[in-house]
Amino acid sequence: MNQPDFGTGQKKLEIYVFGVISCVILTVIAFGAVMSKWFSIHETFIIIFAAACIQFLVQVLCFLRLNTKTEQARTNVMSILFTLVILVTIVIGSLWIMWNLNYYMMH
Amino acid sequence: MLTNLIFGNLTLEAIPFHNPIIMGAGLFMVLIAVGIVGLITYYRKWTYILNDWVFSVDHKKIGIMYLILAFVMLLRGFSDVVLMRSQQAIAAGAHHGYLPPEHFDQVFTAHGVIMIFFVAMPMMFALLNMAVPLQIGARDVAYPYLNSLSFWLTFVGAMLCNISLVVGDFAATGWLAYPPLSEIYYSPTAGVDYYIWSLQIAGFGTLFGGINFIATILKMRCPGMTLMKMPIFVWSVLCTMILVALAFPVLTVTLALLELDRFFGMHFFTDFAGGNSMLYINLIWVWGHPEVYILILPAFGIFSEVVATFSQKKLFGYTTMVWAIAIITLLSFIVWLHHFFTMGTGANVNAFFGIMTMLIAIPTGVKIFNWLFTMYRGQIILATPLLWVIAFFTTFAIGGMTGVMMAVPPVDFQVHNSLFLVAHFHNVIIGGVLFGFFAGIIYWFPKAFGFMLDEKWGKRSFVFWVVGFYLAFMPLYIIGLDGFMRRTYHYNNVAYQPYLLVAALGAFCVMIGILCMIIQLYVSIKNREALRDRTGDPWNGRTLEWSVASPAPLYNFAVIPTANEIDSFWYDKQRHLAEGHVHPKDLHFHPIHMPKNTPAGFVIAIFAGIAGFALVWHMLIPGIIGIVGMVAAWVGKTFSTDTDYYIDAETVKETELAHMKQMI
Amino acid sequence: MHSVATVDHHHEHHHDTDATDVFGFWLYIMTDCILFGTLFAAFLVLNYQGMTPIGLKNYIDLQDVLLETFFLLASNFTFCLAFLSLHKKKLFNTGVWLAITFLLGASFVVLEIREFIHIANEGFRWDFNGQASSFFTLVGTHGFHVSCGLLWILITIIQLPFLKSSTNILERRMTYLGLFWNFLDIVWIFVFTVVYLMGAL
Repeated sequence: MNQPDFGTGQKKLEIYVFGVISCVILTVIAFGAVMSKWFSIHETFIIIFAAACIQFLVQVLCFLRLNTKTEQARTNVMSILFTLVILVTIVIGSLWIMWNLNYYMMH
Repeated sequence: MLTNLIFGNLTLEAIPFHNPIIMGAGLFMVLIAVGIVGLITYYRKWTYILNDWVFSVDHKKIGIMYLILAFVMLLRGFSDVVLMRSQQAIAAGAHHGYLPPEHFDQVFTAHGVIMIFFVAMPMMFALLNMAVPLQIGARDVAYPYLNSLSFWLTFVGAMLCNISLVVGDFAATGWLAYPPLSEIYYSPTAGVDYYIWSLQIAGFGTLFGGINFIATILKMRCPGMTLMKMPIFVWSVLCTMILVALAFPVLTVTLALLELDRFFGMHFFTDFAGGNSMLYINLIWVWGHPEVYILILPAFGIFSEVVATFSQKKLFGYTTMVWAIAIITLLSFIVWLHHFFTMGTGANVNAFFGIMTMLIAIPTGVKIFNWLFTMYRGQIILATPLLWVIAFFTTFAIGGMTGVMMAVPPVDFQVHNSLFLVAHFHNVIIGGVLFGFFAGIIYWFPKAFGFMLDEKWGKRSFVFWVVGFYLAFMPLYIIGLDGFMRRTYHYNNVAYQPYLLVAALGAFCVMIGILCMIIQLYVSIKNREALRDRTGDPWNGRTLEWSVASPAPLYNFAVIPTANEIDSFWYDKQRHLAEGHVHPKDLHFHPIHMPKNTPAGFVIAIFAGIAGFALVWHMLIPGIIGIVGMVAAWVGKTFSTDTDYYIDAETVKETELAHMKQMI
Repeated sequence: MHSVATVDHHHEHHHDTDATDVFGFWLYIMTDCILFGTLFAAFLVLNYQGMTPIGLKNYIDLQDVLLETFFLLASNFTFCLAFLSLHKKKLFNTGVWLAITFLLGASFVVLEIREFIHIANEGFRWDFNGQASSFFTLVGTHGFHVSCGLLWILITIIQLPFLKSSTNILERRMTYLGLFWNFLDIVWIFVFTVVYLMGAL
């Protein structure tokens, strides 16, 4: 009986444990940077966004178990990449447009 | 207190008894509904209709139901055309016509909403459902139950829009319902809520359809059919469905935010308290632009099929066609601002989006040239589908050119929201989308029903549609350029009247064209034995759907085919002709695994409709019943494990032998 | 590529369609990404008009948010444990881990509702202004998704004894739920970063 290819990697306890610990650390870093006010606003901004992006990758790789080993897995990766491209286009595009409109039309 | 919880804002005053036009239309709708119910009861066909159609999960039946919905709503949307064109033809100078502005506003709003959401989209899904599984050698779509749900949600959305004609009113804001006009302060009636909920419900249907067809195309192609061997129609559907999956969530959110403003007094798009109505316009067009590409790409796919079949020649430039579709898909996400150049963004932003918009004309041009090169030196058969394609070439090219003109921001500042714009988008939608869908319907009609459509009446409808279209819209380009704005119920300068009279004449010609289509259907049904398609391949086609009987058997293919090249069916035919006989194939039949019909899709959609109507009128108890009912039906279905069955080998054998006997 | 099997062994046929079914759910998750993306776009526009942040700062309690984050993260982990138990065919353990996931997720929702009530009572109600509307809608939509997930976990626990004999159906549905639950934690990363951490800067 062959296992169906869901496009997700093998489920292993070690990977989940690694994942959850990394996420806790990254969360603490982000919250710590803001709550302690050790860094300048600019630096804190970079820290929290970097932590968010890294935690995103950790969760996608360790919990969703995204990989490129099988055909289905590669399809999944392509679909998430394309979705992210469009998502970023929509968000950044809207921000650019609305900021521009605010500048020209709301002053 | 209890009546308030049950009826909310709904009172008898919601029905406009004093308005004869609406009451007439309402009575007409009720009579048709009663008539249909009466006929089914009289012929004792309830079990058949329910079990074989309403509860069906078969893509072919669902496709037919989508087509019926589209045609019925076409009649309603076209009646709006008659109202608008006749009003504008007479309301010049001292005359104010017969439609007061608050009515006229609802008419053009309903016209837009119905034509896009309840005619074009259902027609598209009708064609996708009929053709795609057959073209890829599959037995059904990936999620047949979801397919049924998608159809019924669209149907319920359309019915909610129809109910608004008689109970309450419809939005009077234009088909995109811009705030602040669509906010509760300026549109306090139920109209905009009807608009929002019917679109949300239908929108979910469409979104699920998008997911369904992406999975179908990526996962259910027959052995040997790699992505680069699929028919171009399937490629265009794949890209269209990707557009659907990524764009419709934006529509869902934007309409939801507008509804939150109206229902809970939130401030997303109000022009005070920190809201921003320009945000709505931005977001709605993030959806709106991909939407128009969702409409046109399948039409492009149909053109590829029809041109190749009726030129009896391989499609020119398969690879460039695929690239062109992919590039159009990608570019369609980065041009949306061209719909609001004049809203106030600066030169940089306008220039960027203007350039992107002009770029998108390039892959479209590549496609048109490929079609022309396919026809060049082909053995042309001038059947009605090809006539529609030829009309498309010129008509769409004109519409596309005016589009590129408006992609230049300074030009757009002159013609934005004028009849020039209206003429442009009708030009590309009618000349591109509608002509394409008509070609597809005539092309695939025999596969769906087992007999051809009458050629004579087909050609007549074609002539009236094309002449009517040009008469109706070319004058609009002229007066639009001169400054005549859209959505006006009356105008002072009588010099414009002759143009609008010509436009009204054009609408009249289109009406004759629609009448010819109805007659065509009647004549074809009457003469169906003479028009019967006995071989399953009436057009000497190139793709797999023509390898099965007409109408296709329930299971589509007795044996899943193998496709080793593009147009594999065509080349198989040539080989068989060369060998001098048709292989009866090793007649070994197996039981076929099929999904069972289920009432779940229908039931969930009905509850969605109850919830939608309740939300429009703020009826708390019916609303809760609707939502709980939807969830309960959905969850209840998951407890069922009796979802499929086998067609035994004997039945398959009998069906296939009957088909082969017909061919001899 | 896969194809719909015509004649294969019944069991294997189910597996073919299982992979297609999970892919469909993955596609749904992609559409949900865009849904949240649009809500984020609206939130950012309304809270940072002309790029100056306003308003939300006074109402944020970062310790509360940190606690919510840990609850959700923990529930994500316990769900993975439930999945591992299912893989090993230990249905009772699966039920236990699912119940713990439910409790952790419910704690998240309860904390969030408490926070909403508190903020609303302070005057920052959803109908107060654009920032409030977008805050409640973005965070509330995520919370609504989590609540639907909780209902789903409950139904899954109930269905465990019914589907004892069809573990492939169970695995498939747990895969959907797992994708959904993980996805919600991923969205939450961006919610707490963009709404709360950025808002408190």
